[in-house]
Amino acid sequence: MDILNQLLGGFAVALQPMNLFWAFIGCGLGTAVGVLPGIGPALTIALLLPVTAQVNPASAFIMFAGILYGALYGGSTTSILLNTPGESGSVMTALEGNRMARRGRGAAALATAAIGSFVAGTIGTLALTFLAPAIAELAFVFGPEDYFALMMLSFTSVAVVMGRSMVRGFAALFFGLALGTIGIDTQTGQTRMVFGSLELLDGISFTVVLVSLFAIGETLYVASRHSAAPAAINPLSGGSWMTRQDWKRSWKPWLRGSVIGFPIGALPAGGTEIPTFLSYALERRLTKHPEEFGQGAIEGVAGPEAANNAAAAGILVPLLTLGLPSTATAAVLLAAFQNYGLQPGPLLFATNPDLLWGLIASLYIGNVILLILNLPLVGIWVRLLLIPRHYIYGGIVVFAMVGVWGLSTSWMDLALMFGLGLVGYVARVHDFPIAPALIGLILGPQAEIQLRRALAVSQGDWSVLVGTPIAATLLAVAALVLIVPPLLAYRRRRAEADGQSATAAG
Amino acid sequence: MPSMKNDSVASGGGRPWWLGLAILVMGALWLNGARSIASTTNYVGVGPAAIVLAVGLGLVLLGFLLIVQALKGQLASHSEDEEEAPFSRPAFLMALAGVGVPLLTIRWLGFPFSAMLAFTLVTHAFGSRRTLLDLGIGALIASLAWLGFSRLGISLGPFFPLLG
Repeated sequence: MDILNQLLGGFAVALQPMNLFWAFIGCGLGTAVGVLPGIGPALTIALLLPVTAQVNPASAFIMFAGILYGALYGGSTTSILLNTPGESGSVMTALEGNRMARRGRGAAALATAAIGSFVAGTIGTLALTFLAPAIAELAFVFGPEDYFALMMLSFTSVAVVMGRSMVRGFAALFFGLALGTIGIDTQTGQTRMVFGSLELLDGISFTVVLVSLFAIGETLYVASRHSAAPAAINPLSGGSWMTRQDWKRSWKPWLRGSVIGFPIGALPAGGTEIPTFLSYALERRLTKHPEEFGQGAIEGVAGPEAANNAAAAGILVPLLTLGLPSTATAAVLLAAFQNYGLQPGPLLFATNPDLLWGLIASLYIGNVILLILNLPLVGIWVRLLLIPRHYIYGGIVVFAMVGVWGLSTSWMDLALMFGLGLVGYVARVHDFPIAPALIGLILGPQAEIQLRRALAVSQGDWSVLVGTPIAATLLAVAALVLIVPPLLAYRRRRAEADGQSATAAG
Repeated sequence: MPSMKNDSVASGGGRPWWLGLAILVMGALWLNGARSIASTTNYVGVGPAAIVLAVGLGLVLLGFLLIVQALKGQLASHSEDEEEAPFSRPAFLMALAGVGVPLLTIRWLGFPFSAMLAFTLVTHAFGSRRTLLDLGIGALIASLAWLGFSRLGISLGPFFPLLG
């Protein structure tokens, strides 16, 4: 088997001592940022981008992979012990996991989360291993119009799926698209939207936008709304590990979570949140212990945890094969590839097999490392929460400055950090999602290039955009994504209104 | 449920029509910018101004929709089940000052000192009152970052520009 050979080659890369070292660093960092509130994998990788300019790409991506998976492991820990999900993907874990911890079953909850993450992460990575090359193979025939349609689908689905309303999602997307137009047009060399500033000629750096919107916005938000009360850590009392019954009740949710998580993660607007909702709902329906749901049912931890790890592997499918990011973290990874002058896509499998297969192999290794780091050492990670919050956020701002100032020691970048930080704060307050802005910023210029390329080839004939079956189908799906949710919402609202008037009357 | 909405008014939420206005203004800026980009006439397909125009139009439309939604009261900010403390203006301004102070100081005092000040202001925004300790920790983190990143070959500017 060709794939197996390439995977073995990947392991040869990933198992080099230096790369193992980076995998360890990545897993450790990932777990830490997963545990800590306010910092996620996207931000961590963005802050590390300048650092990794000195590291060879394979090692850097091996570390990033560790961060990506590690944050999921760490996020479940705080959800369970503190009821404060460190990442959006672990919100569902908190529901049952924290109940379990309060009933003295914290150790079992952590164990089922960690082992479930391992099982699902490994299944997801297996699926990625065999699916990605096949999709990359398919993508070889993609023309510019197909890529353009694909990106349109990505835009609409990201804007619709993320955030609370379509208008907000699209506002965020267009904000990102607008930032993406700043700078020199790559095809004609004309300057656009630079407002007379020489420093804007190169465009706005992705790192600056990401760091400002996430780190600065979040810091301002938490600073203005934090309460002085320290978080209480649930003791791991009772320390009972997983019993035989726990195993029996966990393994099916692990597998079901994996099956739900991976495909949804692999969709253009997958993300890790939706699979966890679905998995939770499914486990709740299938359980033999419905009375325990809401009181700490282990299935409610095992399923969602597995789902979000499998989804994380799924996210890598469109990213690696098509260069299509579907979450903030994926957008940062895409930026990281571009930093190295690499464009993820079908060609990358041919031109940089060592890097890609090393990355994929490191996902298997990372899962093992994380299981080791998280099962016995969970007590240490929880200690991180004893660091006073003001130092955590003070440190975040300092490292945000490192990330932004370190790019090119430009005052303009710092000013942008300030301004975009305020935008991030407003977005946080008013529930505008950030990921669409990032995806608009990074994918917008590429969509423009593909569009203009397609139109140049067709001599300005716009019908080329639906000229291939792939492009036509993708655009149709993109339109459906846009039209269907409002229709459903309208119907639901009407049903609810009926229900409410009925209860009001009765 | 209605009480929640009142809470969000108190925390600066309410009917944020200005949000939509900001997006609208941004769209107008982009539309205006698109006019000043010369379209190369011999270019097949769309020129460099087209995407700017499209983005501007989109922003104007979205800004308009946001204003309408806000005035209808559909934009109440979130206050679902998050148990949050109320908005504190002094803390917010202090944190904002922390993010802003490097703008004023970084050219004169360099990265380590600016980062130290930023660190201290942010810790104080979070309620810390041990100024000297915070300054010390900030100086330590900032200097270590400066040294470490210099080792890695990433320049964070001169340590203390005033000394040349």
